[in-house]
Amino acid sequence: MDFNTLLFGGLSILSLAVFFYLSRFKASSRQTQREDRIDWSSRQFSLWKVFLCCLVAAIGVAFLAA
Amino acid sequence: MSNHKALEMFGRSGNPSLNAETFSSSAPDASFAASAPAATMTLQGTVNRTGILLALVFVSASYTWSMFFSSGNPATVIPWAIGGAVVGLILALVTMFKKQWSGITAPLYAIAEGLFLGAISAIFEAQYPGIVIQAVGLTLGTLASLLFLYKTGLVKPTENFRLMVTSATMGIGLLYLVSMIMNMFGSGGIGFIHSNGLFGIGFSLFVVAIAALNLVLDFDFIEQGSEMGAPKYMEWFGAFSLMVTLIWLYLEMLRLLAKLRSR
Repeated sequence: MDFNTLLFGGLSILSLAVFFYLSRFKASSRQTQREDRIDWSSRQFSLWKVFLCCLVAAIGVAFLAA
Repeated sequence: MSNHKALEMFGRSGNPSLNAETFSSSAPDASFAASAPAATMTLQGTVNRTGILLALVFVSASYTWSMFFSSGNPATVIPWAIGGAVVGLILALVTMFKKQWSGITAPLYAIAEGLFLGAISAIFEAQYPGIVIQAVGLTLGTLASLLFLYKTGLVKPTENFRLMVTSATMGIGLLYLVSMIMNMFGSGGIGFIHSNGLFGIGFSLFVVAIAALNLVLDFDFIEQGSEMGAPKYMEWFGAFSLMVTLIWLYLEMLRLLAKLRSR
């Protein structure tokens, strides 16, 4: 087994362990008790605005590339 | 909070797989939830289901992976890769529109995507030895790091955050779509997306960052779903959403590493 496999294999196992351990707990109150949490019941921005933003982003990247 | 409130809360989302009908059907009422708390979404349940989906992806990926390395011919796995991708896309769409079916469609989606990922990964591995374990390590490392940042409150998803991530995700999707259509007409697509130049690598880094930020939206959705007592089947749906983002992130990592190795 080479160093690359050991390093990234170890990272994978460690990350999975951290993920499954941390996932079981609720997020901290700093995360859950704040005013600006996402309100999933409404969209602050309309779909139209989101579409315009993504269009501008896509055109911008395409121009940069050109 | 009642499940009806949960339905209202989760009615709309920035995540493309989480839309206005997310909790709209088959929801148990408040009295049912009070008498049978086990029938609501929990963090532990979602984590367990995420584990099941990850295992399914790994097992089915192993099948096409070993098929490629036993034959040494990419042509043997290409049909599996295309079939897995197409079936996976169909199952993903079904899951998005029929969330109550998530318990069946999400595992099938994981199996289909596993076949696709195993084949693609094997082809990349044959070209750049060691690249797959690097991509897996970096993807899972990103997952664990962002979960830590989310749980501790260091990364705080807000409405502006959702607008930014959703817009960027849709923008990337639009670019990929345009490139695919251009490819179909023989123009070669949008070159820089696939190039290994500085711009191509910068673009891949940007896409990886956006895919990673989508994980934060998934975490927030799952956290709030369990807080609000969403229906039990949403555990499968939450795990499915996480899996869609993880698979995207893994593929982008693979592309980024391949670009770096090909320079």
